[in-house]
Amino acid sequence: MAKKHDELLDHEYDGIKEYDNDLPPWWIYLFYLTIVFGVIYLLNYHVFKTAPSQDEEYRIEMARAEKAKAEHEAAEANSLVVAFSSDNEDLEAGKTVFDANCLACHGANGEGGVGPNLTDEYYLHGNKIEDYVKVITYGVPEKGMIPWEKSLSKKQILQVSSYIQSLYGSKPANAKEPQGELMAAN
Amino acid sequence: MGQITIHYDNKIVRNFAWASVIWGIVGMLVGVLIALQLFWPEANLNNQYTSFGRIRPLHTNAVIFAFVGNAIFMGVYYSLQRLLKARMWSDTLSQINFWGWQLIIVAAALTLPLGITTSKEYAELEWPIDIAIALMWVVFGVNMIMTIINRREKHMYVAIWFYLATFITVAVLHIVNSFELPIGFLKSYSYYAGVQDALVQWWYGHNAVAFFLTTPYLGLMYYFMPKAANRPVYSYRLSIIHFWSLIFIYIWAGPHHLLYSSLPDWAQSLGVVFSIMLIAPSWGGMINGLLTLRGVWDKVREDPILKMMVVAVTGYGMATFEGPMHSLKTVNALSHFTDWIPAHVHVGTLGWNGMLTFAIMYFIIPRIFNTKLYSTKLANLHFWMSTIGMIFWVVAMYWAGIAQGLMWKQFTPEGNLQYPNFLETVINIIPMYMIRALGGTIYLVGAIIMAYNLFKTAAQGKLVANEPAVVTELEHSNEAGHSWHRKLESRPLAFTLWVTIAILIGGVVEFMPAFLIKSNVPTIASVKPYTPLELHGRDVYIKEGCVSCHSQMVRPFRSETERYGEYSKSGEFVYDHPFLWGSKRTGPDLHRLGGKYPDSWHYNHMVEPTSMSPGSIMPKYPWLGEQDIDVSLTPKMINAMRTLGVPYEKGYEDKANADLEKQAATVVANLKKDGITVGDKSEMVALIAYLQRLGTDIKQNTTASK
Repeated sequence: MAKKHDELLDHEYDGIKEYDNDLPPWWIYLFYLTIVFGVIYLLNYHVFKTAPSQDEEYRIEMARAEKAKAEHEAAEANSLVVAFSSDNEDLEAGKTVFDANCLACHGANGEGGVGPNLTDEYYLHGNKIEDYVKVITYGVPEKGMIPWEKSLSKKQILQVSSYIQSLYGSKPANAKEPQGELMAAN
Repeated sequence: MGQITIHYDNKIVRNFAWASVIWGIVGMLVGVLIALQLFWPEANLNNQYTSFGRIRPLHTNAVIFAFVGNAIFMGVYYSLQRLLKARMWSDTLSQINFWGWQLIIVAAALTLPLGITTSKEYAELEWPIDIAIALMWVVFGVNMIMTIINRREKHMYVAIWFYLATFITVAVLHIVNSFELPIGFLKSYSYYAGVQDALVQWWYGHNAVAFFLTTPYLGLMYYFMPKAANRPVYSYRLSIIHFWSLIFIYIWAGPHHLLYSSLPDWAQSLGVVFSIMLIAPSWGGMINGLLTLRGVWDKVREDPILKMMVVAVTGYGMATFEGPMHSLKTVNALSHFTDWIPAHVHVGTLGWNGMLTFAIMYFIIPRIFNTKLYSTKLANLHFWMSTIGMIFWVVAMYWAGIAQGLMWKQFTPEGNLQYPNFLETVINIIPMYMIRALGGTIYLVGAIIMAYNLFKTAAQGKLVANEPAVVTELEHSNEAGHSWHRKLESRPLAFTLWVTIAILIGGVVEFMPAFLIKSNVPTIASVKPYTPLELHGRDVYIKEGCVSCHSQMVRPFRSETERYGEYSKSGEFVYDHPFLWGSKRTGPDLHRLGGKYPDSWHYNHMVEPTSMSPGSIMPKYPWLGEQDIDVSLTPKMINAMRTLGVPYEKGYEDKANADLEKQAATVVANLKKDGITVGDKSEMVALIAYLQRLGTDIKQNTTASK
């Protein structure tokens, strides 16, 4: 009893008439296809479990990243030495890192603010470049210093440490009062 | 076969039309204002009542419930009477529906800027307004159903099926999602917590789009498009199939808003597959609309009404294809929380809802005022402004969303985030925010031109308040030989019952296990209820609408755990009434914020965000230090939370304020050390206490077990 193409049905509503044309085949197949997709998807994730759950997916992603990182570090390991660098390029790069991340708490010129003064001869966590690297890398959470190992590369941490070292004795304006132990200049 | 003369009520149609025009312009204006604030924070007028977090919900509520809501009533009241050959059943109910709805809108416009909000998206209004909405919706439904029962047309046309589905489903969604426990006249807490609250909210949120922005508009399309084009509808059987499949499938798709969240995997998967299966049913409506225009495409080039309808239906088709694509996990991993989502939404709202509303207004107003449109030229101009405004808007946001999403996920070869500073990814897309505001402004000016055109049209004509029509009394006729669906079309109550069953199944299947099976939310022993001060801080967070820009849901991706910390677990949210996962990251996620910065950082950052984050687009919140929390509410808050299942010990409500003072004193002392003085009852102290607690409970767990 299928109607012919563009044959009007015998009713109207406020002058609106209707055809009863066949559904476009591509529409029907699209609908079937999405239903098949749905069934396969559910089987895949929840019956046969051939696809990973989101927790598994995360573990896979992390393992892969860990491996890539280890390979990269092995390749770079020998080129990085933890020592003060007076190289202009390093100090410039260090200043960029400092301005982007450190100035909010330590002041534009290292004079201190929320965080301690970085230019005087008093030290809370040691006065060697290795100490700086350690504090920046792992932070001092109980005092509000954030660990930066996830957001800065080792090279950047070294550069910013050198930059901070270079500020020593610069006597900026509005310097915060000394904190920590008095140590000999280095 | 008696012929009689009846009168259609045009006055109510006119009232809803003007309300929709006026509220529409207001809603879009607020939209432009918040768009400006995203690159020019001072556009909040340095005023808490016009700050982003408070008026973003004002924009969404105004355009959805005031602009589109009144337009639905306008179109339904106009078309229903004519499709049924019957005046609306009760003029009184029509009047109540109109004035009640406007009062609700006024109440929303007053409460949202005051920070009176439940924080649940598109359901922000507090409980007394929720009750008013439910009542007005029932008034509308009763008026509609009684008109249907008293009809003079044996069968219900497809438009009416969509109206019925709209009425039933919106009622169910609104009531279930609004379960909340009042603690005062304008404050309540969601009955649900955490994962369950999220599931209910996005079942609601997604289907508010489906049954408030889609099904009523499909009904309107089925009436006004063949009328305007003077062409028969392409396929009756396509109407039947796409109607039933659409309403049945739509209701399941809500969890796609929560992919890669703490929602259990099985519920996420249901959201994915039902979203994909939704493509064909959605496109059924688009095809039936566009193919109805066969043979009149030459008219489409000239008639602004048809032009707008074509763009509207095309926008509908694009949005309903894109939605399912966003529901695929790989796409969602990138798009979620970015500006890609508002871009997608605005293809639907500016395109489908806006353009169809405009077209219907250009159709109705000259007819009920018995005149011609004042200016076709202006209508054409409006068409182009809407189209171009929309293109500016969405293209800018597609660009911004995809660019920012990629930046969030980019790693350096050293294994660090390429853009560890969230702000850098924001600053990068600010030019796009400017273009978006420009697009929105063009669209708004177009709407103002329409308002002028329509008011001029009304002024040159005269309202036919009661339009006469000669109709034939309904006679009983034999339905033998009709298909089962044809028979159902003449039984409105049975039809409504089937609709109800179709829309309940999806919700029931998804909710029951999530609520009844404990393993869906594994408990974490170290997760404890909030302290009284933190509860107050949480209320400040809700009041200021922080959730508009900040999520509290770290997703299980390396790019997120590197940036924010451990990914969020469902067991961490069991005391969150309501949940505050958010849906957009204009700023960074805050779920692991606790303990990350000192208290003074937060204080400085609230007072002047750029002092701690140079370039930040976050508004300033200086009033937090000046306004006090209401500690007399504390016992009520504790009691309410206990009623909702948070295990505060018996009698704790009487000791709570002592604990509150102790904790506030600690925060005040911390701030003092850094030279900051602030009142111990201030909103600032409560908010800092809450922020410092966020996501820290499970950290204690790991240190304890070490």
